Amino acid sequence: MIRVIIQRLIDAIPTALVVLSLVFIALHILPGDPAQAILGEQATPAQLALLRARLGLDRPLVVQYAVFVWDALRLHFGQSYMNNLPISGILAENLPYTIELTIGATILGVLMGVPVGVVSATHRDGAVDYGARVAALLGLAVPDFYLGALFLIFLSLGLGWFPINGVGEGFVDRLYHLFLPALTLGLIKAAFVSRLTRSTVLEVLGRNYVRTARAKGLGETRVIYWHALRNALLPVVTGLGLSILSTLSGSVAIELIFGRPGLGRMLIDGVATRDYPIVQAGLVVFALFVVLVNLLMDLLNVALDPRQRTA
Amino acid sequence: MPITRRSLLAAAASTAALPAMAQDSRGLSIALSARAPVTLNPQLTTLGADNWACRQIFDTLVVPEDGTFAITPADFRPALAERWESSPDAKTWTFHLRKGVAFQKDQGELTAEDVVFTFARQIDPSVVTSAKVLYANIAEVTAPDPLTVQFRLKRPDPLFCGSSIYTMGGNILSKKAFQERGEKFALDPVGTGPYAVDRVDMAKGITLSGHKGHFRGPPATNDLRVLYILDTTARTLAFLSGQIDMIEGARTPGWMDSIRRRAAFAVFDGTKPGSVNTLQINLTRKPLDDLRVRQAIRLGIDSKAIADAYGEMGGQLFGLNPTQFAGSVSDKDLPPELRYAYDPDRAKKLLADAGFAGGLAIPCFTSQREDYAAIMLMVQEQLRKIGINLDMKIVDHTTMQNDNRKDLNALALLSSSYPPVPTQVILEQLASVAEVKPDGSGGTNYSHYGVAMPGVDKLIQQALDEPDFARRVALCQEVERQVLRDLPDIGIITLSYVIARNKRVDLGYNVKSGYAYWPLRTAKIKA
Repeated sequence: MIRVIIQRLIDAIPTALVVLSLVFIALHILPGDPAQAILGEQATPAQLALLRARLGLDRPLVVQYAVFVWDALRLHFGQSYMNNLPISGILAENLPYTIELTIGATILGVLMGVPVGVVSATHRDGAVDYGARVAALLGLAVPDFYLGALFLIFLSLGLGWFPINGVGEGFVDRLYHLFLPALTLGLIKAAFVSRLTRSTVLEVLGRNYVRTARAKGLGETRVIYWHALRNALLPVVTGLGLSILSTLSGSVAIELIFGRPGLGRMLIDGVATRDYPIVQAGLVVFALFVVLVNLLMDLLNVALDPRQRTA
Repeated sequence: MPITRRSLLAAAASTAALPAMAQDSRGLSIALSARAPVTLNPQLTTLGADNWACRQIFDTLVVPEDGTFAITPADFRPALAERWESSPDAKTWTFHLRKGVAFQKDQGELTAEDVVFTFARQIDPSVVTSAKVLYANIAEVTAPDPLTVQFRLKRPDPLFCGSSIYTMGGNILSKKAFQERGEKFALDPVGTGPYAVDRVDMAKGITLSGHKGHFRGPPATNDLRVLYILDTTARTLAFLSGQIDMIEGARTPGWMDSIRRRAAFAVFDGTKPGSVNTLQINLTRKPLDDLRVRQAIRLGIDSKAIADAYGEMGGQLFGLNPTQFAGSVSDKDLPPELRYAYDPDRAKKLLADAGFAGGLAIPCFTSQREDYAAIMLMVQEQLRKIGINLDMKIVDHTTMQNDNRKDLNALALLSSSYPPVPTQVILEQLASVAEVKPDGSGGTNYSHYGVAMPGVDKLIQQALDEPDFARRVALCQEVERQVLRDLPDIGIITLSYVIARNKRVDLGYNVKSGYAYWPLRTAKIKA
């Protein structure tokens, strides 16, 4: 297990360097002047030049790149151009909201998606299966911002069951504010998970060991949930990892429509104002997430599949 | 019809009753179109939402009547200054401060030293502030005694109270707090205003509470929340649900009507003129250097139709100064040949005379911001009818600003809010010293007027040297007429800044004009 972790972390180093370089290049190719964004349209040329010098933007690009990579490797992201706040503080303020949204959506997605997928597979071509497949297709087809808007309009505004926006104060209130955005993303994730679960369960139900289990006289529930599902979950876990990453990046629209803070909103804001330190830090954190989620999925695979422990 | 968030909102409103829920106990709340607070240092803020908070936290030396713009020198009222006077040449202005004005958070009393500190930062070229151009005429600011401040100007300014004093950067800082807090002042500011900042949360906005020691007494409502909700749908739903008392409107055609249909409790406060939207024509680009082509563009744009599309938000712009400002011109002041009523047939004839009977294409770009994009799309459609094809790209706002500043645009729409000072828009958009430069070191005269062709520099200089307000206004009107003859820059429309307010909130005054933020000191929830 430790070897897997170390190997994955070593693999991540060149990936991180490539990501850092791409981030830097992309930001500096993008037209737009951070000084102009800070001081506005009416800024005088002298003020713009002064601010550029203060921000270090008048230095050669190679020097800026070297400083950026060195700082990023030390996870030292400096201060926001816009308000001089330490980036670490801004990240600490925004990241938990994105993490809780991603975790909430993933839990709801798995809780809804896996049982639906199993039931769909075990009732193949029946009414339940068709219903579940149609629902999954709908879930995959409906954009998250649309679904979020529908929920807001009917559940929050119409029925008054949920708050319209914000993040709440205290644990219970925070969960209350989290539920609807997490449900929005969770339903979309559930559609993906249920389809994946259905196909993998169908595949393993035809395997010899399942037949053997049935021949041994085991009950159908035990056969499905103990023998079949455990093996069927391997590809689901891998798919779930990808799905978590897409939820992370797709949370931007949900954060906007539900008026929630978060990493996605922070990044969009950083790009709009050309706040390079914010964007650089945000993208590095995203890259770290990719590495960590992949690592987590590998470890889960190892835990679920004993053969991989000796591989 | 494509389904959009807006149409979703419309559908919801037609199916659901939208009662105004009872106000919670947290006082007043206002939600503005922004992602998160950036800075509450009034000398640096450029974000509209931050301006709203700053307006409540700080005071200026003088103010207009609440809900209005002060257009003439006589329109200003005392605030931190009890009285003021200027020298006959309008180059020395003396302000006498109110005694015993308390800063928030036990930071002592206001003295002339705080005022000098505030304005000294604005005129110090080594200090970065956001609107230095508004203070460029100040040569020196001194404090003859603890309650007197004297400004010595480089040139006369009969409307100094409007051009420099009643501005966002003219809000008086606490010198002591600023020096103690350093950069932290940006999110923990101290002013003398009616509200003090309790908490700035990047996620939850700004929480303020009444400053009991305010020189006009504590505000009518003690608690105020300034929320940052960028998404128009989310903001609108929060307002319709009664969760929020006031929201910033969307500056798109039909927005006010759509809210009015859905919420009987909604009332609207809007500033006139709001933003001034002008279209600068790059005189260095062929065939835009041909007056007939520029006249065709002017005649082919139906600015009244564009203004009407915005309903009450829109206003027609005849020259560059809006009609609400001194120095403006309107149809009735102009000779017939400068009125440019919409006339597509004459526009086509002018194009034909210029050698473009078959039409022409003009490459340009504009911002994706809703006001820019909507106006330019309407202009594009109108010009198409006279044979001009705007080959227009819509880019993000920062990119547009950047590329405009590098002289890359042939037709540059500029949407700006100006102080009600007749020389301001002229100076920024027409003076040759403000000419745009390809290396980005120039200003916002994107047309090259005064360089690519003779401009109005002489008239501008005369206006800037004129100490008499009425004569200065007359000179500015002469500039406007000359610009209408040369057409380097076309006034399109003014666009009100609108706040939708739950009618249970009484502002204590009516909003008629002013900057895109107003005081909430007298606002209260009606019983």
